[in-house]
Amino acid sequence: MPTKEHADGERERCVTGIDAIDHILNGGIPRGNTVLISGSVGTGKTSICIEFLIRGAINGENSLYLSVTEPTDKLLQNVIPFDFFDDRLARQGKLQFLDLPKMYEKLGIDKEDLDFDQTRLLADTIASLVEEQKIKRLVLDSVTSVCYRIREQERIRDFLLRLGTVLSAKGCTTLLVSEIRSSEEGYSQWGVEEALADGVIVTGNLERRGDLLRTLQIVKMRGTTHSRAKYVLDLTTSGVLLVPLLKGGSVAGGG
Amino acid sequence: MVEVSVTAEVAEKLRALPESSAISMRLKSDQYFDAIQGMIDRFAIKKDLEVVYVTSTIPSQSIINALEVLEIPMEHIWFVDCISQIMMSQEKRHPHAIIVESPTMLENIMLKVEFLLRRVPDRNALVVLDSINSLAIHNNTKILSEFLHILVNNLRSRGAYTVIFSMQEYETEEIRNMLVLVSDETIELGAYSGS
Repeated sequence: MPTKEHADGERERCVTGIDAIDHILNGGIPRGNTVLISGSVGTGKTSICIEFLIRGAINGENSLYLSVTEPTDKLLQNVIPFDFFDDRLARQGKLQFLDLPKMYEKLGIDKEDLDFDQTRLLADTIASLVEEQKIKRLVLDSVTSVCYRIREQERIRDFLLRLGTVLSAKGCTTLLVSEIRSSEEGYSQWGVEEALADGVIVTGNLERRGDLLRTLQIVKMRGTTHSRAKYVLDLTTSGVLLVPLLKGGSVAGGG
Repeated sequence: MVEVSVTAEVAEKLRALPESSAISMRLKSDQYFDAIQGMIDRFAIKKDLEVVYVTSTIPSQSIINALEVLEIPMEHIWFVDCISQIMMSQEKRHPHAIIVESPTMLENIMLKVEFLLRRVPDRNALVVLDSINSLAIHNNTKILSEFLHILVNNLRSRGAYTVIFSMQEYETEEIRNMLVLVSDETIELGAYSGS
């Protein structure tokens, strides 16, 4: 996938604005990367994604949230009231929310299963939207729900490759939310998603002596060196905060 | 020979230390509230510091009640309360108190301290850990040492004062070693009388 490079060979970064994540990634996500953000329910995936978009919009980057599972009106009612959120970002079009079911409707996709042509149409429509609106940050929440409708592994591969290639070429950094069960091995429902993504960020719950800690770990990120350690996460009105997981408290095979 | 009050002694000794200092404060149980008064009223408020008070010894509301009796303004004093939740305390929560579910959730203590300090990036701060002994009841030495090491170094890099309370009656050799490792100074209260 084509990507911009600095003179010193370093990939240009998309500074997420989430300080700890930028620190772990030595400056941010390499711009144009498609990153899977994977975890079970209640682990903070959506909050991380929303903060990523708001920080981008504040920084002048057009940001788009594509919601598949939850109408955005409902989502916005339940999202953390971030101190740094400014209504004007949405009014100015810097921060946009779109329900994917509405896009399906416009495209005349009414069947549960998407065939090959419809899958391509969906990828191309998202890509066109990104181009028209000059979107630099995109979140698809969730890619798992989209893949449920595509079903066939080959078509999922085609969809993700097509989308990833186009978005990367446009310098759009993308977060794909992957819903997994806590007991599940791997980072995605179909396995294809994690193989094609440039990066994988895993959120989870770690139970330690009866306490439940939210955790975050970056297991893969092309284009940068990064820590692969596990961090403990807190979702606050100041944004997502991370501290290192204390090793003295590690449990065998824990989380 | 003039007896120096605990309140005055605490304030005087803290004032002598530079910013970024990590201090172990070894005190006896009967000096507890005087030490808090000296540290907050006579030191932190005079120096216009933001105070983040981590309590795992007694509920934050008990300390707040004591501060209110002393008419100490609460505007710049915040609590990270690690004990009220496990005590199933029914007391109402003060707007300046953030609850951590249990003193075993050491990472969450760090996160709440970070959250409170981020809200006031331009102000110098005093972070109080009350106390190492009560944290040691709930955590093993290994994880507690790791916690102190990370927290104190983080606060030091921000230029914040860190004060770690240690009740002399409940100190063990392990706790003393831990404090020596992370502290720049040890203040032992009542160890001298001024003249």
